[in-house]
Amino acid sequence: MARTNEQYVIEAFSLTKIFSDWWGRSRVVAVDNLELKVRNNQVFGLLGPNGSGKTTVLKMLLGLLHPTKGRAFVLGGDCKDPRISSQIGFLPEESYLYPYLNARETLDFYGRLFGLNSKVRKARIDVLLDMVGLAGMSNRPIGTFSKGMARRIGLAQALINDPKLLILDEPTSGLDPIGTRQIKDLIVELARRGKTVLLSSHLLADAEEVCDTVAILYGGLVQREGKIEELLEEKDKTQITTSVLTERAIEQIKRIVEKDGGQIDVKPPMQKLESYFIDIVRKAQQAKKPTSGAVNRLDVTDAQRAAAMSDVIDKLVSAKVESPKVENTEKLSVVETEKTGTDFSVISQLTQQPLKMPEPVEPVKSEEIITQQEIKKNILDELTKSEENKDE
Amino acid sequence: MNRVWAVAKNSFVSAMRMKTAIVFMLLLIVLLPVMSLTATGDGTVKGRIQSFLSYGLGLTALLLSILTIVVSCHTLSADIKNKRIYSVVTKPIRRFEIVLGKVLGVVLLDVLLLLVFSSVIYVLALQMPRFVKTTDEELALLDNEFFTARTALKGKYDYEMITARAQQAFKNLQDTGQLDENKNKQAVLKELTEAARYSMFSAEPGGTVIWEFENVKPLDPNDSLYVRFKFNASQVPPDELFYGVWYVGDYRQMKNGQETMKTPIYAVPRKDVSKTIREFQVPAQAVAEDGYLAVLFFNEPENNSTIIFSEEDGLEVLYKAGNFSENYVRAVLVIFSRLIFFAVLGVSLTTWLGFPVAILFCFVVFFTGVINGFITTSFDFIGANLALFYSFTIKPIIWLLPKFDENYNINKYIVDARLINTGFLAMALISLAVKSLILLFAGFIIFAKRELAKVIV
Repeated sequence: MARTNEQYVIEAFSLTKIFSDWWGRSRVVAVDNLELKVRNNQVFGLLGPNGSGKTTVLKMLLGLLHPTKGRAFVLGGDCKDPRISSQIGFLPEESYLYPYLNARETLDFYGRLFGLNSKVRKARIDVLLDMVGLAGMSNRPIGTFSKGMARRIGLAQALINDPKLLILDEPTSGLDPIGTRQIKDLIVELARRGKTVLLSSHLLADAEEVCDTVAILYGGLVQREGKIEELLEEKDKTQITTSVLTERAIEQIKRIVEKDGGQIDVKPPMQKLESYFIDIVRKAQQAKKPTSGAVNRLDVTDAQRAAAMSDVIDKLVSAKVESPKVENTEKLSVVETEKTGTDFSVISQLTQQPLKMPEPVEPVKSEEIITQQEIKKNILDELTKSEENKDE
Repeated sequence: MNRVWAVAKNSFVSAMRMKTAIVFMLLLIVLLPVMSLTATGDGTVKGRIQSFLSYGLGLTALLLSILTIVVSCHTLSADIKNKRIYSVVTKPIRRFEIVLGKVLGVVLLDVLLLLVFSSVIYVLALQMPRFVKTTDEELALLDNEFFTARTALKGKYDYEMITARAQQAFKNLQDTGQLDENKNKQAVLKELTEAARYSMFSAEPGGTVIWEFENVKPLDPNDSLYVRFKFNASQVPPDELFYGVWYVGDYRQMKNGQETMKTPIYAVPRKDVSKTIREFQVPAQAVAEDGYLAVLFFNEPENNSTIIFSEEDGLEVLYKAGNFSENYVRAVLVIFSRLIFFAVLGVSLTTWLGFPVAILFCFVVFFTGVINGFITTSFDFIGANLALFYSFTIKPIIWLLPKFDENYNINKYIVDARLINTGFLAMALISLAVKSLILLFAGFIIFAKRELAKVIV
């Protein structure tokens, strides 16, 4: 039964789901001979319009639906096996929670289902409630929560077992920009720690930011699959972001580019609405404006935010009383040094950098970037690598 | 087990916070004390307490059964309908553990509510004599005839005598040439047997009826025996009273002469109305050493009427064999086993049915349980051709249905202060446990195979 293929966390072979009507006649082909392979430590996005079969795929992987044809292996086995499902965190498409329970009871219930002892449960619930910004209303019944607040509990629920594989169905739907930002930070941070994330979304901007690999589904078929940089890279353009430059410097740059035979368009970068929004809310929070909604700690910079998220997950993991995973901490320290390496960058408006993946493909990729930069090195020394290839 | 407990706790908390549970609890909290004040029965203190206990326990059993059905049908089906089950089954919990947890949650609710309300009824019943003016005599009567648990014995048949009499009559007919040659001999013999049996339990004016008992074992020879009887009469006199003398004791001694009598024979002259259950008491010393006892009824000639006792419930002898509290606990246990059955039934049904269908089914089962005897008997009248078909199809299903009537009506035991036998209790509990287990396993299998996110296009 158990297939031990360490390389792939999720494997699906000609997975097919045909929905039938009441009489058992086949009606809708929701997923059609889908082949899916998700590697360890990938952030894999299943993208597609409504009704393209994203959720159906996830439900089949989780054993909520039985495939009409084909097979799916999750962590090398069947998802119904408690040994497998204990390593999975799942966030359903909507937060289906018990309205009579309050936030703490809800998380406690799911923690118990994972067989966590009361000490671990309590520690993790505290950390998670704090993380999703609902620590102040942990005694309010979920039934009184707004959709987004319930969604946050749903997310906390998916993380309570410190999962190896996180399956998120539309993770950012129904969330406010802060929650969305947080989920994205969280996914990035989890990936940095060697976890695998499979998410489905039709919010492309969100998926683009966090996923390293995406599959675009339409009509139950994978239309295109690949690394996001490869799919989106515009081969004939280069984007450079700097701090504010003097007129003279701009002129110099223009001259150099034109001498090189290229075209240049200089304008101040637009702040993204997301970061602007978060900034406004942060100021309101500092002014201690009251709210009945979720309260998140908002840090000024991305680096601070990432550090805060890392902190949360540290606490979450440290709540584990069982023997600490040695390889995990090892991996962690390695990544940490890498982080300080990238952190000295002067450009603070740099959007979240996709972090280094431990796959063999990745170093080749970064080398490529460096060579690209080396060509233009004489143009601007203070620029570090940037892959801002969107908004074009 | 921790996981099962988590699911159980969750469904218990949900049920407690659901308004239905509160409504049922409020109903009982209001109704029980009111009933303890308004129940009158036949006007005596005993009657008041009898009717209070009967209605109180009956109402509690009814309301808790309904509550159990509602909650058990709701708890799993709502999780499936509202898709909350998605984030439960994807956790490291086996599907059967979810079903088990749901049942356990409902049972937990039942334990709590039954414990509270049966205690309330018990305390109120014990305190009721204080609410009204009660004489010492009435209190003694209560202690003897109500706050006790008695074993009831039915007289044994002397089949041989009946057959012998029937054959004798048949022979007489043959000898006198009155036998109708056209009639089947078997049929005639059967008729004569019926008549002989009938005459066994009827007394002409000046005649007698005798019942014999074995294995009569009162706890204490200083206790009393209670003879409980009901009769019909061929003619009812103007004052509606029938005179008779009851003799209770070791009747065998009469044959050997009065001098050798070891145990007393008590004579009790009475006047009673017909068609009503009556009861009188004699010292338990009447019972012979080997547990033999005879009850003889002498029909006074001035009644001018034949007095007829029914075979089934014409006469019983009761004696103290346990105490009220113990008997009450047994009755509550029987109610509890029913609630467990319904908890299992509701949850098991919703592993594949939706809430409305499941709850309807449960109520059908509940009400057939109430009239189970009627249904079983009516099916027994099916013709011979269908009997085989019936015994393989409908009969097992009827067997699966619980029985709440006739012998299984535990209210009657408490009201009549009749001991619920350990054997009977064990059988009732085991049979419900077996039925519940069958249902539970069916639920396990169905739920394990069920495609929870199934969509029908």
